[in-house]
Amino acid sequence: MQNFISGIAGFFTRLKSIHPLLPWGIALVVLLPLPQFTVNNYQVYLINFICIMIILATGLNIVKGFAGQVTVGHVALYAIGAYTSAVLSTKFGMPFYVNLPVSILAAMIAGVLVGIPSFRLEGAYLALATLAFAQAVEVYIRVTNYLGAASGIGGIKAPEFFGYSLRKYDDYFYLVMPIMLAAVYASFAILRSATGRAFMAVREDPISAASMGINVRRYKLIAFVMSAFYAGLAGSLYAHMLPGYVHPNNFTVIEMVTVLLMVVLGGIGNIWGGVIGAIIVTIVADITREYYFYQLLLFGAVIVGTVLFMPKGIGGIIDRYFVNRRFIAAREETAEVKRGIVGGSPDESSG
Amino acid sequence: MLVDFLVVGVSIGLVYAIVALGISLIYSGLDIVHFAHGEFVMFGAFFGLVLVNDSGLNYPISIFLAMIFAGLMGVVVERVFYRRLTSKGGGYTVAGMGMIICGFGMAIILQNIAFLIWGAEGHAINVDFGTPMKIGTVNLPKSYLWILCVSVGLMAILHLFLKNTKAGLAIRAVAANKDIAYLMGINVPLMISLIFGLACGLAAVGGVLIGPINYVQVEMGYLILIKGFAAAVVGGFGSLPGAILGGLMVGIFETLGAGYISGSHKDIYAFLLLIAVLVIMPTGLFGQLAKSKA
Repeated sequence: MQNFISGIAGFFTRLKSIHPLLPWGIALVVLLPLPQFTVNNYQVYLINFICIMIILATGLNIVKGFAGQVTVGHVALYAIGAYTSAVLSTKFGMPFYVNLPVSILAAMIAGVLVGIPSFRLEGAYLALATLAFAQAVEVYIRVTNYLGAASGIGGIKAPEFFGYSLRKYDDYFYLVMPIMLAAVYASFAILRSATGRAFMAVREDPISAASMGINVRRYKLIAFVMSAFYAGLAGSLYAHMLPGYVHPNNFTVIEMVTVLLMVVLGGIGNIWGGVIGAIIVTIVADITREYYFYQLLLFGAVIVGTVLFMPKGIGGIIDRYFVNRRFIAAREETAEVKRGIVGGSPDESSG
Repeated sequence: MLVDFLVVGVSIGLVYAIVALGISLIYSGLDIVHFAHGEFVMFGAFFGLVLVNDSGLNYPISIFLAMIFAGLMGVVVERVFYRRLTSKGGGYTVAGMGMIICGFGMAIILQNIAFLIWGAEGHAINVDFGTPMKIGTVNLPKSYLWILCVSVGLMAILHLFLKNTKAGLAIRAVAANKDIAYLMGINVPLMISLIFGLACGLAAVGGVLIGPINYVQVEMGYLILIKGFAAAVVGGFGSLPGAILGGLMVGIFETLGAGYISGSHKDIYAFLLLIAVLVIMPTGLFGQLAKSKA
């Protein structure tokens, strides 16, 4: 097993040295025939939904994991993205390629509104403000007739490109999956860039980050806007997917918990962890859909259990495995060097 | 009209104030913000429901028993779950973020346990308060009078307890500085349990008081939590007089908004007040700058 994993890791490192985008290209090609392996339409729908959830979780990871801002109401930005698309499509008859950027823009503006309180608020206060914001958005949608109130908005048109409508789930997959891969790749790129390092500096200690010449407010705001971009993207993609129907029930506390669970279970700040979390949580949520309240009980228990016993999540376990492996190799190397110099057995020097 | 709204606003506000008192107590004692506090209000309301409707006990005894039960429940939850996190340090540390998420998860667990026991439909606590009192032209339902008396009485008792007893002094010492409290020979873990039990008991009283007016249902905790938070934030987190004043302000603001602007947007007003206060004046009316508390 160890050889297998290190072999794969080595293989990807070699691919990356040829061209940094090569592993992603291969992932794209590998994922392309995925709908062919499904048994029924519902599974394709589920795969599409998982892709959307991955985008959402990756976005949340930017603000929560990289920049360390505790937001709870991320689902409100997702709702804003979805409802903007829904209104534009049904009330104004706009096509998908107009709706997507406008929805993202709307979510980003809302992201600025959520981000501004983060200048002055930290930790629990920020969690509160975002929770209140999310709640206000949900209640507002639920009571506003223009937004369909409690019956939702139906009849959102499927995306159409050059006269070809992506009405089937199989077709939609070829739109969602590449976007998902690009989004995950972009979040890696952000993490590696100077912006990503600034985020992490702000997360670890805002004061010392400021003394290093990082504009803390600006980077907090950038983190919020970036994650809002992801949320708006996910929302718009969700609204345009068949059956083209958005309902306030899709943006409640339950979704808030689900998205939170994805990030927490995967490990806060760990991109692959977030992706794995999104996949696991969406599938488990689907399997347990019939046992609705037991499902939430399970999710709550997993959140509490993860925080208590596995604070770094699944991603943390993977990381530890790789890091430990490197440590063991480094330790053996040093031990060998020492043995060469001292000439004694390693048992004597230990202790 | 205005007087009626004020009566309702003050009564509801007092309930929020009791919930906010608990949140503030926990914040000052344990340095954490307890996100599952609303569920203790809900559990308290259901305890009251069972005690009044099913067991036929009278209202004051039910309030007292619900308070005891919820307090014990709070102590157990804190001991079993939160203690692992708070022992690593609360506030704005990494454990503090874990604490927020853990509290959130705990809220979901408690809510669904309540659902499995009592189901999703709303119930009303059936208490016969008799005919409304008439003061001048204003009809004053007795349930509001109960809220007024019980909550003001509880606040007075809490004040006397914290100011005049040895345990109260110990609680204040723990809130001020845990390490020095340890050095003075105070049993800090016990005091933390006591704080948590007190706060959850207060929450339960809030639940039983609001039960005869609003429906008791599984999802009530969430709204009350945010309104309690709003009250605590308006008054200044960790400040007990601030929590009371904040609760009254939130209650009156919400009732006037619902009465004069739009009733269906009622729940939004408290959230807007919360966000506005957080952005404009994060320390609230009585709070000190909370940043340094870690």
